[in-house]
Amino acid sequence: MLALLAALSQGAQRWRHGYDLMNETGLKSGTLYPLLMRMTDGGLVESEWRQPSQPGRPPRHVYRLTAAGVSLARSVETDAAPSRGMAALA
Amino acid sequence: MARALLSLAAACLGERRRDWALAMQGELQAAVEQGRPLAFAAGCVLAAWREMPNHREGRFALANNALALGLLVPMAGLQIAWAAGFSSPFSATIGLYGGPAPGSVEDLYLFEAFTGAVPSLVGLSLFLCLLQLRFAWLLLEGDWLRVAGVASLIASATATLAIFTGVLFLDGRVAVLHGAALAIDIAAAFVSARWRDRIFPAAPAQRPC
Repeated sequence: MLALLAALSQGAQRWRHGYDLMNETGLKSGTLYPLLMRMTDGGLVESEWRQPSQPGRPPRHVYRLTAAGVSLARSVETDAAPSRGMAALA
Repeated sequence: MARALLSLAAACLGERRRDWALAMQGELQAAVEQGRPLAFAAGCVLAAWREMPNHREGRFALANNALALGLLVPMAGLQIAWAAGFSSPFSATIGLYGGPAPGSVEDLYLFEAFTGAVPSLVGLSLFLCLLQLRFAWLLLEGDWLRVAGVASLIASATATLAIFTGVLFLDGRVAVLHGAALAIDIAAAFVSARWRDRIFPAAPAQRPC
């Protein structure tokens, strides 16, 4: 979930397709979709349908963090920063 | 193949997650362009399976599959094994029907009837096992009208078996076993139907063909 949160928090207002998120995070579809479902149910991620760019293709779902999701991503990043600093010093 | 897997994923996700099933289908073209449609679709099926315990339709489907594949099908398999001649744990004889003891009264008077009837009774036993498998399949489909029909057929065949084994002084435990299996079938169907009615109150008793 942290990898997905980190990927979504980069340019948090940007909508992303599911397959792009798989490529960005390295997660497989079997892991990505349950995470997206949980995060959407929990109000951390919002989704909407986008019409296809080429005719004959189905509409695609796009995802981005909600305000609550952005807030969580920031707090996770803040928590992780001291431990990264400690690791750099070691 | 990938489309078939995505259809399976959609079926497993159910109505509540229909949007997610469509979202997965919408990404298939991107997966095709990257040359990994099967891996993507297989992952979607895995995701759908992981999601099943989280919604009541999924729990119902899982329980039904567990009941059919974990209880009814093995039960039918055991019955087939016994009918086919493997030794039964409930009988010292080999196969379902041990012949009369040589030299006994039954052997003297019933030997010909016995040799004439046993093949038919073994056939009837195998037919009952096939009915058990059909029953499990219909239970999974939720086709309650046909479930009731097959249960009636099993009851009739079991009664026939009981009568003929009784008349021929054969091992009556065979019919008792089939009767017990039928009782388990009916109990399973009853529990499954009650549960289904709670989830889908307006569902028809028979699926449209």
